[in-house]
Amino acid sequence: MKRQQRIFCYLMVAPALLFTIVLGIYPMLASLQMSFLEFDLIRVREHGTPFVGLRNYITVMQDERFVQTVINTVLFTAIAVSTVVAMGLLFSQLLSANFRGRTFVRMLVCVPWFVPPVVAAAIWMWLLNTDRSPINFLLREWGWIDTNIKFLTDKNTWGPFSIPMLSVAAVRVWNGLPFVVIFLLAGLQSIPRDLYEAAEVDGATLLQKFRYITLPLLRPVLVVLLILLTMTGLGHFEINFIMTGGGPQNLTNIMAVYSYNEAFTFFRFDTGSAASGLILILTGIICVFYIRSQAKAVGP
Amino acid sequence: MPCNTHTCRDGAARRHFKHLGLATGVSAVAIVAAATFSPVPAQAQKIEFWTQHYGDLIAWREVIAGLVEDFEAESGIEVQHEIVNWSQAFNTWLTVAQGGAAPDCADMFWLHSFSGIGGEEFGPRPITEFRDRWPNLEDEFFTGSLQDVNWEGEFYGIPWRVDIRPILYRTDLFAEAGLAAPDTWEDLVTASKALTKRDGNGNVERWGYSFGPGNAGQALVPYYWQAGGDFMTEDGSTATIDNEAMRTALSWMRDMVHEHKVVTPEFMEKGHEPFDEFVAGTVAMIGSVPVAWPARIAREFPELEGKWALAIAPQGPEDRDTYSGAGYFGVLRGSENVEACVQWLEFLSRDDSMQRLSEGTGNVNPKRAVMATDFWGDTEWKQTLTATLENGRTSQHPSPVWNALIAPQPGAVIYDMMYSGIVEQEDLEELLPAAEKNMQAEMDRAN
Amino acid sequence: MTGIADTLSTFVGGRARESGPSSKADMMTKAVVIVVAGLLLIYILLPVFWMLKSSFQTSFDIRQMPPQWIPSSFTLSAYNDAGVLIPIWRYLFNSTLVSLVASVVATAMAATAAYVLSRFRFPGATTILTLILVTQLIPPITRVFPIYSIIQDLHLLNTYTGVIIAYVGFSLPFAVLLLRGYFQSSCPPELAEAAMVDGCGYFSAFWRVVLPVSAPGIAAVGIFTFLNAWNDFLWASLLVSSGEMKTIQVGIGDFASEGGGITYVNAFMAACVLATVPALIMFIFMQRWLVSGLTAGSVKN
Repeated sequence: MKRQQRIFCYLMVAPALLFTIVLGIYPMLASLQMSFLEFDLIRVREHGTPFVGLRNYITVMQDERFVQTVINTVLFTAIAVSTVVAMGLLFSQLLSANFRGRTFVRMLVCVPWFVPPVVAAAIWMWLLNTDRSPINFLLREWGWIDTNIKFLTDKNTWGPFSIPMLSVAAVRVWNGLPFVVIFLLAGLQSIPRDLYEAAEVDGATLLQKFRYITLPLLRPVLVVLLILLTMTGLGHFEINFIMTGGGPQNLTNIMAVYSYNEAFTFFRFDTGSAASGLILILTGIICVFYIRSQAKAVGP
Repeated sequence: MPCNTHTCRDGAARRHFKHLGLATGVSAVAIVAAATFSPVPAQAQKIEFWTQHYGDLIAWREVIAGLVEDFEAESGIEVQHEIVNWSQAFNTWLTVAQGGAAPDCADMFWLHSFSGIGGEEFGPRPITEFRDRWPNLEDEFFTGSLQDVNWEGEFYGIPWRVDIRPILYRTDLFAEAGLAAPDTWEDLVTASKALTKRDGNGNVERWGYSFGPGNAGQALVPYYWQAGGDFMTEDGSTATIDNEAMRTALSWMRDMVHEHKVVTPEFMEKGHEPFDEFVAGTVAMIGSVPVAWPARIAREFPELEGKWALAIAPQGPEDRDTYSGAGYFGVLRGSENVEACVQWLEFLSRDDSMQRLSEGTGNVNPKRAVMATDFWGDTEWKQTLTATLENGRTSQHPSPVWNALIAPQPGAVIYDMMYSGIVEQEDLEELLPAAEKNMQAEMDRAN
Repeated sequence: MTGIADTLSTFVGGRARESGPSSKADMMTKAVVIVVAGLLLIYILLPVFWMLKSSFQTSFDIRQMPPQWIPSSFTLSAYNDAGVLIPIWRYLFNSTLVSLVASVVATAMAATAAYVLSRFRFPGATTILTLILVTQLIPPITRVFPIYSIIQDLHLLNTYTGVIIAYVGFSLPFAVLLLRGYFQSSCPPELAEAAMVDGCGYFSAFWRVVLPVSAPGIAAVGIFTFLNAWNDFLWASLLVSSGEMKTIQVGIGDFASEGGGITYVNAFMAACVLATVPALIMFIFMQRWLVSGLTAGSVKN
């Protein structure tokens, strides 16, 4: 019986495992391997791909632009994740209340999910262009501003922060919000109703209920969500790449964009791989926490 | 939408497609069916031909379909046409040069980079051994275009379109300000100053000038030439950007931005799109526009008819060299149908075929006979384009790293130099020697 | 916007009547929440509105300065042009087929794997789970070339099968995670055990008892994987770059012009609108399942 159970288990897990190894683990190792070789597209036909140890990592780390990129990546992730979770909490609270048209509002909130990121970035670029932005026009008409806001090109910085960074982060939040709302809505449903009812009897305000019931009970879901968002946030690429390409002056450059440019613009697959190897290390650290929290839950 | 040419022609593929249509309901079956709908392996008398698309998508498909049909009737060789869209073109050719799926022959660009990357295994294939099929190439084609199909002594194909970049300006705004068409750098300054418009708060309602298309790296090229500079030595071994010509070009551009304030200081950022601004009337003049733009404005924006014109590139301190680059039809390494491809290329290079390609897309043709026809003389802007050809100089340089050097990205040597010198107004005396050193280091990768 | 405001005020009224003594403080909280949510809704809908609006304008009007918030004239010609300029229906069909199949296959594989990983202890289980989790952390960019060559070696470039394989690969880890949580928390082991007492084998217990009970969770995961595939640009652009096989996201790229920028902006916007509609329709029908299916599956432990 035990043997039969094992065979059953392995058969059930085999297809998923095969796909994971072929399309996940193998490409990751192949890319890591590249980061220890010289892999310069311009030279590769004549010089091959000699092993160079950590040279690519050293080259990348010595590049001032890259160091700034690492800081930006962490900041972007922090800003985007915290904002999107805060907004997600707000909307999931709102949408878990019973009111007419709830389904409709839920659909509206989820609309960004269906706009492909490539398209979304293009439209936002239009909306945020300094001289053409309809938002700037509106704000000027209302007399709220005198000069156009340079959403994507203002080079003034406050510490590591800048307007372009916040603008691009806002678009990333926009893009990620629906997933977070749905995820949290699901989490909210698992909180027993009678807890709230008991609290109401005690005269608790909405805020108190949120603070003392919702947040603590939502904590496990929030932890998983935060880890997931952080991991995908660190490796994010599309929106930064399309909207600013990292500019102005590297203010919105992030590691994945740096890695892409090394490889595809400058034909340096080796330093590109080293840069993404460093993203792997960052996400790896987060992942250790995740796996711990997951592995605890194996089996009955 | 009718199904595309190759699906219709190929009976086997069509049968599979029907099969597929029936099976879509059941996903598991669909996977099996989809597997059978892979491209049919090339047969001896069938060649695969990829192009980008030019002008109107529909018009482009029709032009190629017509040529394919005539060629097939004449030679019995079947041509399977696929369109590579512009948003993927670069990655597609980079993948091809590294051993990715490749057609037999194609419409290509950036020969020097891609053959540098592909080496002798992948990428563009020289057809020097067939060179004598075109005995009068030098006489029939504009010289500039031939630079783009020769590399390290080998001949790679037939140029068929030229990207030549004249000045584009709004005639309505020029007339309003009482200005004549610009001809020299000084004219550009005067006109731009007269045309830049700001509101009371300093918000710009209209910029007088834009250096060139969105690609910031390319913007510098013509001005540097016009100031008398060359980016590298003729053998592609030595960088030459620390000189008087570069100082002249960069300081002129810097003054346009900071002293005259007629060019947006954001011109090097990614969202900068002079085409949109020109159409909206918020940019009055663009110094160097891709050849596709005038045809595109004529086609897509009838509202602007009579409000714009072209002028040949301006006379700089030294000369009038104009940014240009040729796309060409060539053969790919790995093809087993080289002879059939060369026949197709021969067919395409005839006056009549070139004429059809040129008329169908509005693309300037590198063949003198085509540019001498009525089609290229019937409007003023076309005449200007033809005249501009005489000053055309290829933007491709004899180094495979060239396109990395002028990429519109921070980290690219020329982009960084422009950003520091023009936008940040750094001291050129310190900047240029360092930039030249960086550029040399990049170029040495190829040796 | 008034419709939304109405809806929101209904919500205030409805809830305020329910609650008792603390209603004054709650009214304040609710008012703030509603104002903030209203502003955020504008931010959420602005680009969508802009896309929709532009699709009814001419290319010239779209670029007019000052920008037109309300189109000065409506035209449907962009929708017509979009269908003429690119084979948009074929692209939509491709996207639908590829996303549907990928989502069904990925969900099926994830369900079988997640079930045994959540229910049984067997040698290697932890390692397998870790492997699957690790895949989740790989930035997609790093996988581009290895995966391209795998698909090329299988001779599956420009086939539906090629992209489907890629999508299944990318959706699997997340699907496994969600479903594993779901099986753990909302599908009691006693169910399968009872079935086996009744003479079912391992597989038929899973197939006849566990799966039907878990339908909401499976549907939710299916929606996720569908949307992942539907919204993808990167992989499709590499794996199905040519002609009739393009997905809609890649097909939209046909509007890119040789000098950069977009030709026929209005037709482009119309194509974008059409590209969002199928996913939207699917969502409308499935959203009930989405939330209830995730409820338990959102991995609480």
